[in-house]
Amino acid sequence: MTMIDTMIYVHIPFCDSKCFYCNFVSGIYKDDIKEKYFKKLNEEIEYHKNKNYNVTSIYIGGGTPSSVSTKYIGEILKNIFKNYFVSDNAEITIEANPCSLTKEKLQDYKKFNINRLSIGVQSLNNKCLKTIGRKHTKNQAINALKMAKSCGFKNINADVLIGIPNQNYAKLKSTVRILKKFVTHLSAYMLINEPNTKLTKMLENNEVKVVNEDTCVNYYNKLVKYLNKFNFKRYEISNFALKGFTCKHNLGYWQGNNYLGFGLSSHSYFNNERYQNSSVMAKYLDSDFEVEKHKLTKEEMIEEHIMLGLRTIYGVDIQYLKSIGYDILSSKKDEIALLEKNNFITVVKNRIVVNQDKWGVINQIILKLLP
Amino acid sequence: MTEKLKNIRNFCIIAHIDHGKSTLADRLIEKTGTVSTRDMSDQILDSMDLERERGITIKLTPTRMFYTLNGEEYVLNLIDTPGHVDFTYEVSRSLAACEGAILIVDASQGVEAQTIANTYLALDNNLEILPVINKIDLPSADVQKCRQEIEDVLGIYAEDCPAISAKDGTNIDEVLKQIVERIPSPKGDENAPLKALIFDSLYDNFKGAICFVRIFDGKVKVGDKIKMMKVDKTYEVTEVGVFTPKMKPQDMLLCGDVGYICASIKNLSDTKVGDTITNADNPTLKPLPGYKDVQPVVFSGIFPVDGAKYGDLKDALEKLKLNDASLKFSPETSVALGFGFRCGFLGLLHMEIITERLEREFLLEIITTAPSVSYNVYKTNGEMLEVSNPSMLPPPAEIDRIEEPMIKLDVYTPPNYVGAVMELCQDKRGEFIDMQYLEKTRVVLKYHMPLAEMIYDFFDSLKSRTKGYASLDYEVYGFAPSELVRLDILLNGEPCDALSMIIHKDKAYARGRQIAEKLKKIIPRQLFEVPIQACIGGKVIARETVSAMRKDVLAKCYGGDISRKRKLLEKQKEGKKRMRQFGSVELPAETFISILKTDDND
Repeated sequence: MTMIDTMIYVHIPFCDSKCFYCNFVSGIYKDDIKEKYFKKLNEEIEYHKNKNYNVTSIYIGGGTPSSVSTKYIGEILKNIFKNYFVSDNAEITIEANPCSLTKEKLQDYKKFNINRLSIGVQSLNNKCLKTIGRKHTKNQAINALKMAKSCGFKNINADVLIGIPNQNYAKLKSTVRILKKFVTHLSAYMLINEPNTKLTKMLENNEVKVVNEDTCVNYYNKLVKYLNKFNFKRYEISNFALKGFTCKHNLGYWQGNNYLGFGLSSHSYFNNERYQNSSVMAKYLDSDFEVEKHKLTKEEMIEEHIMLGLRTIYGVDIQYLKSIGYDILSSKKDEIALLEKNNFITVVKNRIVVNQDKWGVINQIILKLLP
Repeated sequence: MTEKLKNIRNFCIIAHIDHGKSTLADRLIEKTGTVSTRDMSDQILDSMDLERERGITIKLTPTRMFYTLNGEEYVLNLIDTPGHVDFTYEVSRSLAACEGAILIVDASQGVEAQTIANTYLALDNNLEILPVINKIDLPSADVQKCRQEIEDVLGIYAEDCPAISAKDGTNIDEVLKQIVERIPSPKGDENAPLKALIFDSLYDNFKGAICFVRIFDGKVKVGDKIKMMKVDKTYEVTEVGVFTPKMKPQDMLLCGDVGYICASIKNLSDTKVGDTITNADNPTLKPLPGYKDVQPVVFSGIFPVDGAKYGDLKDALEKLKLNDASLKFSPETSVALGFGFRCGFLGLLHMEIITERLEREFLLEIITTAPSVSYNVYKTNGEMLEVSNPSMLPPPAEIDRIEEPMIKLDVYTPPNYVGAVMELCQDKRGEFIDMQYLEKTRVVLKYHMPLAEMIYDFFDSLKSRTKGYASLDYEVYGFAPSELVRLDILLNGEPCDALSMIIHKDKAYARGRQIAEKLKKIIPRQLFEVPIQACIGGKVIARETVSAMRKDVLAKCYGGDISRKRKLLEKQKEGKKRMRQFGSVELPAETFISILKTDDND
């Protein structure tokens, strides 16, 4: 029996508090729900067990995985190792926030074979942190990073937000200037005002002022240059890494790797089928783990390869597209010529890659290249 | 005169829009028991949804009613007429088919522009006019003042005219009685050769083009060979009948009758309104007077939003033309809009009706270019071109002169808006001819004005400057030389043909600037910067720039959930379909019509 490579995502929907900008499936639950949830989650991991699955990466995301007892995290990982074949050099990440991270937890993570930390710093400016409802301070964040390093973590990511009300470039730059001393990887996102969030309500009530889009884009472009100077290379729209520290799991999403998602509202892509768990807690707890799967059509496979592939420095694979029936070079001859001429894309060695300074308008480029 | 003729009354109803023409028609039908109450829907003669919704009648639907007075049974043939200037010729032919006309006047609004225009048309056709004052149920009704106005303005005796409420059904009997007593019965010779006037026609999928006729002399029955005198074509009659108002076959139509003739006629264009039908074997010597070939005066390009729907648009236009011979269209290709049609209309309302029907009845999404008129362009080599599409205008060096169609315009307004109306007319290059007080509260201003100014925003401006009190009437009377130039709009350096317009040189600068500003608001930011230029003969007179888009990205991906990206992508793909690719510039469909609305409100 041949081995099938896959990644695993585990969702921990629990948080100690809800950030003002968050509209994700996460929140504050009672302990008995947590207990039931982890029981169910372990059942799900067992339900799909297959020793022929070669797990190349595991990502424990949330929510705030670091907010729950390490007992639960340990069980989950033990369970995965028991029921699947986890590759020796698998990348195993857990998301954490500075408030809930302790030395004890970090030591436990290390014991569980977790080798990568992703810490939700967002900003190192106390005012900015307060505006978006983060509960930690600058010092707590720096302490968490120091602890992680002293506990032996060598691969650390920090999330950074751009476009927080009242954030100027100086504040942003000072955040990154400090962070780069501790981390090997940075994820930088522009703040999005999602519907039904506290932040959006605050904006509507004029309690805070939105940073205009052009300004955000300017900040982002400056940030890219700054990070580049310190060898943090942008390898995906929102992600920067030192050499050898790109996130395998993240890249896998864009490169069409298989992934199994376990837990509330988690998504899976396996054998060209996409499916997802219920995002309603009661329904998930009652689930029989059988969900409706959508097999991608050829057209969808082509669209996805373009839509997702262009997000990374590896771009889209012209030969692969041809093999599934789309000769992009001839059917989009004029568009490609125009985009190349105006420095939006580069065609190199059988690949089409979006130039880094044009990643901000990638949706428009994608639209021009779709069949 | 035969017994039969003596008991026929052929009449129509004329009125200003909204004065209650269709409602009165319904009441007459109801009162005479022509249609059972169960089958009555409001305003049954307005057969199209669009007509019912807008309260205007476009197509004429005749109907035959029976009414008994003093023991005698009478046949009343009602020919409904459209109440809009675009359809003046159709109105005049309907009138020609009658001996009398009911003139409705709204008791609260009095005599209006269309009332006057239609009254004159009726008088021209020697009709007996029977005034009726309607809407007496309204609190603001002033019957006595209305009688006075009818006598003063129209010169028609109105002291004993019925005061009714068509809505409530008040005094409808009086109207019926007066129709019988005052409208003359038709004259004609049953034994003379057939002479029938086509006052309307309709296309039926099974029967072909159907002629709506009034028989003036002779008779017609199934099997007769008939001849259309103008069109010069002969057909064999397959069915004749009357309107109840549904079509009901009869053995024969005799002189004095209003009815229909079917003769397996394939093309509606063979049944021209105003033409005379005669018997091919025993023809009349002289056709009925007054035939006119109706010509479109307003032109516009119509294109499908989705270029792939060209075939559907063509089918739809052909179907509409089956029922509307006045609609003209020919294929047109635009750099910006692809394949479509240049369409000719009788007026702006006609254009609006056609475009709405394309959208509603055929579910087509269409782009309409700014309406234009047809210019007579005299070239230096002596040639004359009729140009209705601005992009077809020859280069300035080849043009000797351009003449544009002119209208005689009558604006009816209360005296306190005379200043505002004059200012507007002047602004629209109108030449003042005359001003008359029709009465103390009503003035008519007469102007000569280019038709092109009329179709660009005139009606809306008039309404807004007179708080809706003014009304107007116009007719095209000829051509006059004018200093016209072509205003081109360049997008990213390329002239966009669908945005070009022919315009008077004094107005070109201001319009150029307005359009450039307007386009900047309408064209969304895109990957590339889009320079917008307005040019006259190669000279740039205005410039704006749509700066390049900075951000369109979904950065975040929660645990491999790509559904949001897919949803957005699908939405954007849909949006793209509605965009027109012009070089590297993407234009939303509304770009092309929006340049029309740049006046007062911006």
